[in-house]
Amino acid sequence: MRGGRRRLLTALGGTATFGAIGALGGLGGCASLADPPQTQALDGAWPAGVPPQLELRDVPFVPQTPLHCGPATLAMALGHIGIAVDVDQLGRLVFLPARGGTLQLELLAGARRHGALATRVPGQLSALVQELAAGHAVVVFLNLGLAMSPVWHYAVLVGHDREAREFTLRSGPVERDVFSWRTFEFTWARGGHWAVAVLPPGRLPATAAETDAVDAAVGFERVAAPAEAARAYTALLARWPGNLSAAMGLGNSRHAARDLPGAAAAFETAATRHDSAAAWNNLARVRWALGELEAARQDARRALSRAEAAEPRWLEPARATLAAVSAARP
Amino acid sequence: MPFIRRLIATTVAASLTLSTLPLYAQPAAQGDSGLIRTEQVAAGAAPVAAAVQGDHARLLATLDRADLAERLRERGVSADELRVRIAALTDAEAAELMARIDKAPAGADILGLVFTVFIVLLVTDILGFTKVFPFTRSVR
Repeated sequence: MRGGRRRLLTALGGTATFGAIGALGGLGGCASLADPPQTQALDGAWPAGVPPQLELRDVPFVPQTPLHCGPATLAMALGHIGIAVDVDQLGRLVFLPARGGTLQLELLAGARRHGALATRVPGQLSALVQELAAGHAVVVFLNLGLAMSPVWHYAVLVGHDREAREFTLRSGPVERDVFSWRTFEFTWARGGHWAVAVLPPGRLPATAAETDAVDAAVGFERVAAPAEAARAYTALLARWPGNLSAAMGLGNSRHAARDLPGAAAAFETAATRHDSAAAWNNLARVRWALGELEAARQDARRALSRAEAAEPRWLEPARATLAAVSAARP
Repeated sequence: MPFIRRLIATTVAASLTLSTLPLYAQPAAQGDSGLIRTEQVAAGAAPVAAAVQGDHARLLATLDRADLAERLRERGVSADELRVRIAALTDAEAAELMARIDKAPAGADILGLVFTVFIVLLVTDILGFTKVFPFTRSVR
């Protein structure tokens, strides 16, 4: 709270200072003064390949019921990728009645449970317009009030206009709520620059960081149908072929989908590429299930020697696997 | 045409059924198979796997207490809904939540504390980017 008050005082101080300068300089409005940093940056350097004006008109509008901007926002984002949901039912999943709100954590989990991946997008205005250019609506978290007395709000960013310096959002009860860049940045910054793209497995946000994309897929694997999770990991590997977590995820989801040869292929690729004890371990298990006992024993030995050499965290599972495949009879 | 319609209906029914199944089944199945799970690999750090697996179970077990379920119901949250929510948390998220319960001083009102953790503290710091409760309030 103390930090919040200091921020407010700073903000008030800043306004007073700029007001004084404005009066001295005889400037008409304050819009030209004190633009927040990202607004200035976007003014200076427009991302390449992003059209100057764009609106995703096919994002459905779901007006919020009292206090339900979280569920309504998620329903719009899911609707845009063809996943129809009942907003009241969604409200029971992601809404916390006692607090009159939806947690960000719940919003991410709610998307997963409906078969979509919610991936964090970098907290940059330039990233937001790049997502729009890729056809992705972006869920944003705003504080429409002040840091001291917050008014939290979720909305869906659906359009931008470079010349007018405006964003268009599906927000609360308003289908086309137009924010100036600076107002959007101020409220978005007070919400922690939080933005996620909600996409079906197989599609990745244009700007997501590798770790955020992996986090989204790993969370998705928990609740998704295995074949869908495999699709998400395949897309990850297409963009980041060297990601071990994604390679393991592909093998594990194929295994969960009962595609043992596919799982073996994925683990073998991961094992040879990364010489990872975890990948050798899983490869041994899958080959054993496939009846390739001799190969499984070799893999299990490699898993153990690799764990002993460099990856002690996998010592225990590697020992268990080697013991199991050694004792197995064809 | 009726054949195609029946085929589509069957496919949709099957995929709907499948999509609801893996919620609990999948992690358990992989655990039994001796495979190292993706989350364990992605976690990167110490071998927390076994403990973390347990956090989900412990969170779920907390919900079996009749007195807690009653109090949740008073506030408009059913234990079943929370069960589904917990299942959707990643290992790291569940561990964070359980750690908050574990840090409680002895003799504290555990029931009230657990309740608070579920409903209020879940909010703070889990995502680590703000000190302010990231709850939404609608614009009026």
